[in-house]
Amino acid sequence: MNAPAASINRITAAEVISMLARWFIGAMFVYMGLNKAVHPVEFLKIVRQYGVLDHPMLLNLVASALPWFEVFCGVLLMLGIAVRGAAVMLIVMLVPFTIMVLGRGMAIHEARGGPFCAIKFDCGCGAGEVFICRKIAENILLTALAVCLAFWRKDRLCLRHGLFAEKTDAAAANTGHFEKAAEDCRTPKPSESRALE
Amino acid sequence: MRRFQSVALEAVVVAVLGLLFALLGNAVSPRGLRLTRDYFPGQSRPAPIRPSNPGAQQSADQAQAVAASLQKLGLQAARSNEVAQLFSDPRYQQGLVIFIDARSDHAFQAGHIPGAWQLDHYHPEKFLPTVMPLCLTAEQIIVYCTGGDCEDSEFAAITLRDAGIPAQKLFVYTGGIKEWTNQMPFEVGERGSGTIHQAGK
Repeated sequence: MNAPAASINRITAAEVISMLARWFIGAMFVYMGLNKAVHPVEFLKIVRQYGVLDHPMLLNLVASALPWFEVFCGVLLMLGIAVRGAAVMLIVMLVPFTIMVLGRGMAIHEARGGPFCAIKFDCGCGAGEVFICRKIAENILLTALAVCLAFWRKDRLCLRHGLFAEKTDAAAANTGHFEKAAEDCRTPKPSESRALE
Repeated sequence: MRRFQSVALEAVVVAVLGLLFALLGNAVSPRGLRLTRDYFPGQSRPAPIRPSNPGAQQSADQAQAVAASLQKLGLQAARSNEVAQLFSDPRYQQGLVIFIDARSDHAFQAGHIPGAWQLDHYHPEKFLPTVMPLCLTAEQIIVYCTGGDCEDSEFAAITLRDAGIPAQKLFVYTGGIKEWTNQMPFEVGERGSGTIHQAGK
């Protein structure tokens, strides 16, 4: 009888990592997003510098919406709401952005020369000027953590891990115990079968 | 398969709600951007990346390229010596020559050409009512920003041109405040604060 309760209360290492990853990425995105949201013009100029968007309205849309969108996803992760959906959205933002930062770094390197890792510029990340190699490493780490969050089903300290009904690890483990108990009830023990005979 | 579908669906819900939240955030924020405005008039593409320490030939080439691009927009480039001359011109005291600083509040407060007016073209509604009458009566208007890669002086000049100031009056000081503060005194704080710092400080 104690086995299911023990498995519910025991915090596994994976759960701790998942919880810390959620809070870390969430806090990072809220901080970076707010930094950009309070200086939208600066962010708009940086978005234009990447030379990916030409149309003024598209530029304005990205520069005005992206910071608040990051804040939204960050808050969801910190609170543990729609964790996997929010993590997927972060991956969708991080991967192309990292490629763009790398491209811009290479263009600066081509124009100005010097060691690649010494290149420092404001990538529009919300933390001012950063060294390119550090930024790329930071983004790879964030992407890896977001991928973990998107695949794991750890719902410790989550308000609503999944928006749609789906078994989390804890629930699945729990259900497993109940299913096993139900099966035990249905299947007569050998001694009982003999008695019935 | 069902799990992937559920995660994808959740991501779509997050994307839609996030976008609504973002648009609302931008609309409510006093610093929010106007989606329909062209903040970079006349220049759809950003300026190319320039070398940090260009040689004399590269600098000359760059200056020529900037002058040519300004000419295409109907504007003229002003060089350091021309700007210094205009600063000591008696017409400057009469308001017939004016300097326009195209940078943000923070940058303007940190140091500007003494007596310059501010026109942050990203917030024209805040500055144009003050600056327009001065520009209409002035004979020469020198617009500047940080210098180097900064393009805000061009955008501010275009804003003035589009608001009805004749283009032949408008000059863009391409060296910007970086070049100015290395050679000339500059004012810190509000316009007319009287706090003058000497060059290079």
